[in-house]
Amino acid sequence: MSSAGESDTGVLSKLYALHQTLNGHKRAVSSVKFSPEGSLLASASSDKTIRVYSSSNFSLRAQLSLHEGGISDLSFSSDSQFLCSASDDCSLRIWDLSTYTCVRTLEAHTNYVCCCAFSPQSNVVASGSFDDTVRLWDVKSGNCIRVIPAHSDPVTSIDFNLEGSLIVSSSYDGLCRIWDSRTGRCVKTLIDDESPPVSLARFSPNGKFVLAGTLDSTLRLWNFSTGKFLKTYRGHTNLRYAISATFSVTNGKYIVSGSEDNCVYLWDLQSRKIVQRLEGHKDIVVSVSCHPKLNIIASGAFEKDCSVKIWIQRDEELMDI
Amino acid sequence: MNVTIIDPLQGDFPEVIEEYLQHGNMKCIAFNRRGTLLAAGCSDGSCVIWDFETRGIAKELRDKDCVAPITSVCWSKYGHHLLASATDRSLTLWDVKSGEKIARVTLQQTTLLVRLHPGSCTPSICLACPLSSAPILVDLNTSSSTVLPVSVSDSGIGVLPHPRNKFADGSPPYTPTAATFNKNGDLIYVGNSKGEILIVDFKTIRVHAMIPILGGSIVRNIVFSRNGQYLLTNSNDRVIRIYENLLTQKKAAVALEERSSSFDNLQGTEKLKAVGSKCLILQREFQDAVTKIQWKAPCFSGDGDWVVGASATKGEHKIYIWDRSGYLAKILEGPKEALIDLAWHPVRPLVVSVSIAGLVYIWAKDYTENWSAFAPDFKELEENEEYVEREDEFDLVPETDKVKDYEVNEDEEVDVVNFDKDPAFSDSDASMEELCFLTAIPSPDAPEQQDKYVGSSTKVEESTHSGSPLSVDVEQNDQAIILPDLSLAEGGNSAAEETVGTNSSKRRRKPSAKGLELQADQVRKPLKKGKSSNKSFKSKNKKNDQDTNGFAPEDDVTDECL
Repeated sequence: MSSAGESDTGVLSKLYALHQTLNGHKRAVSSVKFSPEGSLLASASSDKTIRVYSSSNFSLRAQLSLHEGGISDLSFSSDSQFLCSASDDCSLRIWDLSTYTCVRTLEAHTNYVCCCAFSPQSNVVASGSFDDTVRLWDVKSGNCIRVIPAHSDPVTSIDFNLEGSLIVSSSYDGLCRIWDSRTGRCVKTLIDDESPPVSLARFSPNGKFVLAGTLDSTLRLWNFSTGKFLKTYRGHTNLRYAISATFSVTNGKYIVSGSEDNCVYLWDLQSRKIVQRLEGHKDIVVSVSCHPKLNIIASGAFEKDCSVKIWIQRDEELMDI
Repeated sequence: MNVTIIDPLQGDFPEVIEEYLQHGNMKCIAFNRRGTLLAAGCSDGSCVIWDFETRGIAKELRDKDCVAPITSVCWSKYGHHLLASATDRSLTLWDVKSGEKIARVTLQQTTLLVRLHPGSCTPSICLACPLSSAPILVDLNTSSSTVLPVSVSDSGIGVLPHPRNKFADGSPPYTPTAATFNKNGDLIYVGNSKGEILIVDFKTIRVHAMIPILGGSIVRNIVFSRNGQYLLTNSNDRVIRIYENLLTQKKAAVALEERSSSFDNLQGTEKLKAVGSKCLILQREFQDAVTKIQWKAPCFSGDGDWVVGASATKGEHKIYIWDRSGYLAKILEGPKEALIDLAWHPVRPLVVSVSIAGLVYIWAKDYTENWSAFAPDFKELEENEEYVEREDEFDLVPETDKVKDYEVNEDEEVDVVNFDKDPAFSDSDASMEELCFLTAIPSPDAPEQQDKYVGSSTKVEESTHSGSPLSVDVEQNDQAIILPDLSLAEGGNSAAEETVGTNSSKRRRKPSAKGLELQADQVRKPLKKGKSSNKSFKSKNKKNDQDTNGFAPEDDVTDECL
């Protein structure tokens, strides 16, 4: 897909439109993720299940249920062979996507596990929990190889940079911290003058910046090496939940985020202007994910909605999927 | 990498043993180019590939034919192949990803050191330094070998038609000769028993230059720095010498040819010496003037700024680190097990050493927590400083606050997609796919626990637990049964949480030993069984992180015993 057509004007060349609604979860959808190679879409829910869809026709491939608590986050391994899920039953599970079975249970957290991330090499899983710690797990043996007492409040999100050398974690304590994944040392703390709870932190695709969301309805792009922010995105509502946001780089560069006003927001990365609001969900949109190659956005919403919606940019190239 | 945010004052050279790896009896080690995998050759003829990030075993290369102790291991440039030499005089080339044997060649003598040709992605030529004869080039596909010249005589040097013969009547027998490829593999640097460095063209196998080493004693090791700029030799006179390489990195053979032709007026050894003086320049000598240590396994740090040599006399495990300008920076003292091999991580300040007991020790920096990383508004001071308050510091409305808001130009373009290549690996060929990691396939829950905790009281529960959905009910039932006990022990929270805790307590001990025990090691297995069977004790403790520490001393004791 071409990366051309980048608009500096803050106008989306082609608008996204609702393509499909995937029902099936019985409770709030907490996380939606496209697989790195793009063939699968997984959604996790408070109903303790994970649903895996084909992302070509959005047919259900499997429903995974073994967790004894609601599931908060999902992460695919880089080769899309495995899926990791973080659950309120204090455990993480690694699922083999060729057999759709659980191959590993990672247990050691003493409270809800809020977030998880496979390292780019997929030999390590990082998880953040309500017990304020970040843990690193050896995927092969299932052992916890490092415990980082990372924050003083629950950890809301976690992400690896491109090389897997750094981890970013965000927490209700109002901080975003960057860790050397090999030594477990803190290398940087991002803090603004005010410190509202940080609900989201993720590296930019090149690993040079961190996108952080705070519970004052603000998303900021930080240059973490200087410790200063570069861009601020506002207009959505995010005051209570750990709503996810992501970079859309398949056709122009955008920031995509859920919102507590039941919409999905798209900002132009450079101009910071809202370029589109996707309306359709009946409850808070808590999770969004962008397809790695095609101009598709998936979004998941809370209890009153329980659905995953697929939004597609009307575009000739998409017709062949 | 994001070097910019890593504190430049930390991260020079290793200081303490961070952890050790144990698996069988390891004899020799080698890092892959990125330092993500560590290969170790064992005394039972197998090779173990460690995932250096998780410090877990990523692969075991094992074959019924390979049972003799491994003497040396070497990675191919992009990490797809591993070559191992063994005491049964064999060389075995492995495909790392599949774990299969690609080629096996048996030579006339045991090889002490093997080096794969660095220029190719799928090398078939290797350099082998045998126990008591001249280094040879071996083609692993055809099993053909070429003996390299190890000495030059005054008579006719331009002509060396039969290097084999040269060897036969030349150098004294039973002296191993050291040799290494240069960075691109177009030249071979040979250190001979007369104390000379010969530069041999890889293609023509002709000696083009000779550099006599001061003292003229037998060369034991000859090693290039990772960037190819420096060469070190370790001689029997107990001196490590550092040379600067004056030849260009690329097309070094051509450059050497040119230099050689510019001395056409000279003949024989004279000419070789003249050319040699234009190839290598002695920079520094390292020795311990007092104890006169015979250095083992000398090498450069990944960035070439440090030189390391080890001492193994009288069962010592000492590692000397000098900076390249000659200053002794650190002496690391390891356990009372003689050191037999050593490697510096390609990019990190980290040294790995092998002891005679077959353990691999990982030496890393003793990182002190950088508190300003935790709280960026704090400044770390080296020493006391008199604080001079700002003029308006205690004003109700500080002047500076009004202008404090730093200007953010949010309209500046940011590039969130493109990234720079790591300069440390600038010699990477973009078209070549590098094997940096072996896919981590999670070992299933149940079998792993079964075999590790056979003696544990939870055996029944665990063995019924498999990943298949069918077994879910069984598993849940089991957990339901043990639930009441736990709630009593903990007086704790939700039921689900407690149950999960039981399982976790068994694994928690591993992180406690800082991953030292990540791998099942035969020796300590019985101990572990004992511990894990004491389930009630642990489940009481598991809640707080202290139990992690609680177990640590115990493990330390175990380590001492070993």
